Amino acid sequence: MFSSRALGRAKVAAAVAATALVLSACGSSDEAGSTPAATTTAGATTASDAVTVDGSPESSETAGATGGETTGGSQAAGEPGIVTITVTEADGCVASPDTVPAGPITFNVTNVDAAGVTEVEVVSEQRIRGERENLAPGFDASFSVKLDGGSYEVYCPGATTERQPFTVTGEAAVTTGNIADLLQQATVDYAAYIDDQTGFLVDATKPLVAAIKAGNLEEAQKAYATARVFYERIEPVAESFGDLDPAIDLRIGDVEAGVEWTGFHPIEKALFEGKTTKGLDKLADKLMADILDLQARAKELGANTSADTKGADRYKPDEVANGAVGLLAEVQQSKISGEEEAYSRIDLLDFEANVEGSTQAFAVLRPALDEIDPELAKNISTKFDTLQALLATHKDPKQIGGYTLFPDLSDKDLKALADALAAVAEPLAKISGKIATA
Amino acid sequence: MTDAEPGTEAQNDGAVTAATSRRRFLRGSAIGAAGVAVGAAAGFGITEAVRPAETKVAPTAFEIESARANRVVDFYGPRQAGVVTPQQDRLMFATFDLTTTDVDEVARLLGRWSAMAARFTEGKLLTDAEVRPGAAPYDTGEAMDLGPYSLTITVGFGPSLFDDRFGLKDKMPAALKPLTGLAGDSALRPELSDGDLCIQACADDPQVVFHAIRNMSRAARGTAVLRWSQLGFGRASATGAGQSTPRNLFGFKDGTNNIHADDTPALADHVWVGEESDQDWMVDGSYLVARKIRMEIEQWDTDNISDQERIFGRIKTTGAPLTGGDEFTPIDFQAKDDTDAPVIDIASHVRLSSPEENNGIRILRRGYNYTDGQDSRTGKLAAGLFFISFQQHPDQFRVLQNRLGSNDSLNEYIAHIGSGLFACPPGVSASGDWFGKALFT
Ligand code: HEM
Repeated sequence: MFSSRALGRAKVAAAVAATALVLSACGSSDEAGSTPAATTTAGATTASDAVTVDGSPESSETAGATGGETTGGSQAAGEPGIVTITVTEADGCVASPDTVPAGPITFNVTNVDAAGVTEVEVVSEQRIRGERENLAPGFDASFSVKLDGGSYEVYCPGATTERQPFTVTGEAAVTTGNIADLLQQATVDYAAYIDDQTGFLVDATKPLVAAIKAGNLEEAQKAYATARVFYERIEPVAESFGDLDPAIDLRIGDVEAGVEWTGFHPIEKALFEGKTTKGLDKLADKLMADILDLQARAKELGANTSADTKGADRYKPDEVANGAVGLLAEVQQSKISGEEEAYSRIDLLDFEANVEGSTQAFAVLRPALDEIDPELAKNISTKFDTLQALLATHKDPKQIGGYTLFPDLSDKDLKALADALAAVAEPLAKISGKIATA
Repeated sequence: MTDAEPGTEAQNDGAVTAATSRRRFLRGSAIGAAGVAVGAAAGFGITEAVRPAETKVAPTAFEIESARANRVVDFYGPRQAGVVTPQQDRLMFATFDLTTTDVDEVARLLGRWSAMAARFTEGKLLTDAEVRPGAAPYDTGEAMDLGPYSLTITVGFGPSLFDDRFGLKDKMPAALKPLTGLAGDSALRPELSDGDLCIQACADDPQVVFHAIRNMSRAARGTAVLRWSQLGFGRASATGAGQSTPRNLFGFKDGTNNIHADDTPALADHVWVGEESDQDWMVDGSYLVARKIRMEIEQWDTDNISDQERIFGRIKTTGAPLTGGDEFTPIDFQAKDDTDAPVIDIASHVRLSSPEENNGIRILRRGYNYTDGQDSRTGKLAAGLFFISFQQHPDQFRVLQNRLGSNDSLNEYIAHIGSGLFACPPGVSASGDWFGKALFT
């Protein structure tokens, strides 16, 4: 199955296609007479020793861990191999030597002047075996990894020549796990998450409808806030059913002339601006019906996904990844500006719900991503933590929705939130590219 | 359109050369053609093709624009570009707050910015690498098919960079103490002031400067955040030898008595930091002062012409001093009128800011007119001068501003609302070097 994916990537350049084909065959290539590894530098035998150039302990741990996972079959002894990777604007990514014996290998990376390159990876079978992120032109860095025999690529995304074949002679590795399986599992997990959330949404909408019909304004306001959370967490799924999102979540400014305004927001307007439940019965019933419809349609998607039904409509890994980014884009577009909850002003609750939905989508992809690109996964999760910690500082249990109301946020608060959001969105957006090529 | 067209010749300044059009690069094959003088028409291939052959006037305009589009200002050099470079028409200025506390991260960001600046100033995208399917583009793309348009990227360090966060305290130049407590500071707004880092991007095209700042702030995400930024739409100074003097939004010629690029002794004495610096890393650098100065446009528009001319000490139409001659005739500060009053008013802008009245102090002004549209509350035009000056020591600015801030007749019509002081390190020498490397290593 890898071969077809590898071929798909061959669009990038003919030279890459050749490499990819070698990869898909992926045997060990312990030809006689391969270049002996440089063994002149002693001492850099552990990952943490090796990453001395910029002294970033984070990376050394990760590089070490990545290597550790994949070293099962290696029997390498003696001094480590040293490989120099030079990244330049003109020649891209060049490794020297390009053949070394199996065992611990230290890669010393110099980005001379390639503005587009921030990382270098040693890849085989679409898995990153070792990598260094956060490269910058004018800086050196290094990482160590234990490699088993086989065909690899040195991959510098963003370089003029991005990939270079790299050979390790010696015994081949026993591969663990299968990325395709992990990605399939991710979609199944996501389906389960969506099923839960749509279930909660149905459960939370019922009391809203009941409170409206009973004419209990205070209860209805509270129920409104509760229900919003579950909807905002799964919004990209609702959006994928073309007509449902507009029926449920349209704001007044987006309603076309002649079309009836339905869903959450006319109810919000009456409850929070009009301070009444009067005249809402029909809207409440319609909302309930639409949400049940949403649940049913999501269930079907979920079932197809779990059954791995080929050709049927189902969750796909890259869609889950794009959904995660989409949720943050929602925040950037309508919550940070306070346009979403114009009457209830619980925009920050929606903000939190979007972020939560995005975090969950990322979480289901994480096992696969840990195989494909552990450093990226770690970076994203740190940035999510920062964002969530910042959001938590705005909790206010006295308010409906549990967060400071939008008008009470200062410009400084909003800027800090927007900056923290952008810091997650940027690395998060890289996932779909990574899994598309995996 | 051959090698002989204007774009392939050095203009104004030895540092200005013609570039290969980026469109060439985008079309794929010609990778590595950097620096090769190709017929600049490549950048305008489409226009060229549809131009009617009989048109006589169009080619001239086209050639001029083509030359402007393809002009490159060298990025690498002993001193940063964007100081004595003949002033371009457009500005985007931005300052950043660092969110990281890791000094290595700051250094890497500067490394990234340097390599990006080297490419952008040649009119290239961030990288020539193709974007992987499913991945976000490396470059945001809005400068595709535009030329370099003489883009310069100038980077500076604010006083706050040298606080407790990064262990750089001992490297702080004494000259970089924050710019506070000056006359005329009362309307300053913190959200339009200061910052740990600044970037001044200047070019002859607005989209080119925006693209540079946008991509550089994108590269900073996770390390630094934009603090404030400003677009400038027209130069309000002249720095190039022989460059015509433009006008500020009060309608007066601005930049007449500026330090010009060919005045090497003045640059050495007043603009570039020399061996006198207590910090070696600043030698060949310069201190940048930015002031966002709001103009009370509507009030000014009702002031009569003789008062306007008295305020500046110059004739509005010609720029000549009120003491006679043409634009570049020296001002006679001694001259008296019939009533024995000084012709150049004692509270006039040129008198108060002149070297004659300030122990010989001079600065290099490189400001831009700006507008932010309209003030949402008052409905007044929100416009003014985004004042930028470069000097060897910020005290040069301090002395002038203290005089102007307390006595200038102009004060009735202006308010300083933003302020920043930045130490711009020397130039980036070659690939592998980066902004401020000597400060961080
Ligand atoms: C909105 C604010 C300002 C306006 C509209 C303005 C306008 C002008 C004009 C029209 C001139 C005469 C032409 C020339 O020699 O360039 C001039 C000169 C000058 N201005 Fe300003 N200016 C402003 C603010 C400042 C500030 C804040 C400073 C420095 C603290 C300054 C420093 C100077 C200097 C040094 C000269 C040259 C004086 C000479 O040697 O003749 N200006 N300005």
